[in-house]
Amino acid sequence: MVDAGGVRLHVQRLGPPAGRVPHATVVLVHGLLTDSLASYYFTVAPAFAAAGLDVVMYDLRGHGRSERPPEGYTLDHNIDDLTALLDRLDVTGPLHLVGNSYGGTIAFGFTARHPGRVATLALIESEPATASWAAKLGRILHRVTTQLAGDEAAALAWITAHRGHNTARLAKGAARLARETTLGRDIPASRVLTEAQISAVRCPVLGVYGGDSDLVDLVPLKRGLLGDFRAVVLPGHEHSVLVEAPGTVGGHILDLLGAGAGVR
Amino acid sequence: MNPTPPAPAHPTADTVLADLAGMLREVLAEYGDDDVVIGMSTTFNRDLELESIDLVTLAGLMEERYGGRVNLAEFLAGMDFDEIIELTVGRLVEYVVWSLKSTQAG
Repeated sequence: MVDAGGVRLHVQRLGPPAGRVPHATVVLVHGLLTDSLASYYFTVAPAFAAAGLDVVMYDLRGHGRSERPPEGYTLDHNIDDLTALLDRLDVTGPLHLVGNSYGGTIAFGFTARHPGRVATLALIESEPATASWAAKLGRILHRVTTQLAGDEAAALAWITAHRGHNTARLAKGAARLARETTLGRDIPASRVLTEAQISAVRCPVLGVYGGDSDLVDLVPLKRGLLGDFRAVVLPGHEHSVLVEAPGTVGGHILDLLGAGAGVR
Repeated sequence: MNPTPPAPAHPTADTVLADLAGMLREVLAEYGDDDVVIGMSTTFNRDLELESIDLVTLAGLMEERYGGRVNLAEFLAGMDFDEIIELTVGRLVEYVVWSLKSTQAG
């Protein structure tokens, strides 16, 4: 556990085997509600460490094994947490950020705030914080708080029947987070980025999308705003492409890091 | 916490099952489940209701016990999502026994 400026965050760090000195640090940021650092730990992280990287994973506040304060869940709180965590971990040298879903929104926000600190940015099924992003998250979180937290037993029974036991288990955790914290109100009320702030991100950016995800529609917008943007679309996948196709996703990210600074 | 005995020189399915069952009880105790029957056919997901983040905790306990000789992250990273959902304690026991034996030779 690491104290990141007042909130205790669960951190896992994997390094290259046999004491090899890492070439660079990659920080992996997970998504909202049902997600945790486990989505990286058991997918791409071992391969990244084997490729000579210092791999940092952490649970967002309220998620996984991290502390769950009752409030403080805007995007800026998450970016502050990441900033404090990097300071505490003494990350020096090239820094690569990877974000899945909302984790990518955090990683993008960090990069927009500290453009000189980030060598490359990989966004898996993710987008920067814009007004339309905030509105969409507001609709999703409203549905979670009304349907799931409202009549939890009935909602969980439906999820178990239609989506399986594992999803129901994760949904239970999400319902608790929505019920016990201000997350549902805070995230849609987050400060969003202007087009100028988005365009200020000049490092190489990779977008990875499931072919059946509606986020693919945002590719032209990102291409227009970002100086160095590459998109990879994996057919037959939706929003969960990281856990469904970790080998392919991880390979594209390692290619990006190879093109960035400090990695062979 | 009780001191952990050293990892067995001749690992068997029985000794490793006892090790892993002890670690799993430690993980489950966080949920107030302290009376769980754990056997070779027990599934992590359906029977024990473990979330993936619980497996990260288990990976840490396994590293404390076996050092770098057993790597749960690499074992699971080699599986697809459905295999992980269906994972049994017995399959993990087999992997641990195999890892301990294959690192013993040197």
